[in-house]
Amino acid sequence: MWDFLPHLLHQALFGAAAAAGFGVLFNFGLRALPWCAAAGALALMVRTGGLDLAWSLEGATFAAAIVTSCAVSALRRVLGPACNAVALAGCIPMVPGAFFGEALLGFFALTAPHPADAAEIFVAAAEHIIRVIFTLAAIGAGLAIPAQLLKNQDF
Amino acid sequence: METGDDPVVIRHRELERYANTALKAGRIMMESGASVSVVHRGITMIARGFGVETIGLRSGYTSIAMTVHVADQTITRMLQVGRLGVNHRLDLAVRQLCARAERGGMSVEEVEAELARLVRETPRHAPWFTALAVGLACASFGRLLGVDWLAFGPVWLAGAIGQYIRHHLLHRGVNIFIVAGAIAFLSATLGGLGAIALQSATVQLAMMASILLLVPGVPSTNAQTDIMDGYPTMGSARAVWVLMIMLFAATGIWFAEELLGMRS
Repeated sequence: MWDFLPHLLHQALFGAAAAAGFGVLFNFGLRALPWCAAAGALALMVRTGGLDLAWSLEGATFAAAIVTSCAVSALRRVLGPACNAVALAGCIPMVPGAFFGEALLGFFALTAPHPADAAEIFVAAAEHIIRVIFTLAAIGAGLAIPAQLLKNQDF
Repeated sequence: METGDDPVVIRHRELERYANTALKAGRIMMESGASVSVVHRGITMIARGFGVETIGLRSGYTSIAMTVHVADQTITRMLQVGRLGVNHRLDLAVRQLCARAERGGMSVEEVEAELARLVRETPRHAPWFTALAVGLACASFGRLLGVDWLAFGPVWLAGAIGQYIRHHLLHRGVNIFIVAGAIAFLSATLGGLGAIALQSATVQLAMMASILLLVPGVPSTNAQTDIMDGYPTMGSARAVWVLMIMLFAATGIWFAEELLGMRS
């Protein structure tokens, strides 16, 4: 447990920084940015915990998105209609952009005249793209389900 | 009777003003990153505040159309939508205006003036501040991916420079896909060169982390939200847009890796 704690805190810290950084890009107000950071930290902590329990990346991401969405829903009196957006900002660090890039670079490599290990490259790229699709679906569903069930206000 | 005195024409003109004002609010929300269902509800709330009934709404990727009805008069109007981005504060402010307008008591002129004021006065972070924040986000993404500490600074710098230049290119009206390809090439090259100079062991990961500012996270989740909310056409259009951005970004990083000899 104590061996795992520094890694968990590391992931939470950089999840918070990534969520807050993208919060600035999305033009969240300065008062909302700490909430974005907190949502990012929570999401990454849950996902890291899930991965440590040997869950799949997609399963851990789904759990993290659900927990984040529920947590901001619990704060909806404070956050108001912004709560869904804060949850989304918190989940941005889990968007598998690097997997997406790797998958496309893998497919590009297959277009070379005589690619070495074409089958391996194809399988790796396909695996990456499948992970992208399922992880994005996990984030979308994880955010949407609590917001729908708890009837978060949009206005 | 002159056409200008015809009560049907007069009523149509009134309805047209209601529809255009409600559509303007919808356009701002859509351009600020709202999902289709939120845009439709906002438009409907404003129309209801004016005392008209919304019979139908349709959102495409570049336009919104609505049909409004009151006292046997019905019209359909469509408004062009510009580039879809994310602007949380503006989106939230327009949603609040929709709620106020729905309660009634606001004229078309008042809603129009308030919309114009919100677009003009809603604050945005300074470009340099956004660039630093986005650079930090890229570097943080890098740490989550396993980039070593030596590459942290170069990724931060590469992401910040990439965001600053992207901001200016988009303001000059350069095509968003070309911008994605060019910024991916620039940021990946800068991040890679910095990581090599500092003898990082994770140069390729650093190059990938440097371009993560381009990953369209909100549109990709909005695509799914739209499909789940019953708007598969819009959701599919958003998904194709996301794929195109990533294709251009991957092309940019591919050229950067070739330039730095990482592909051999």
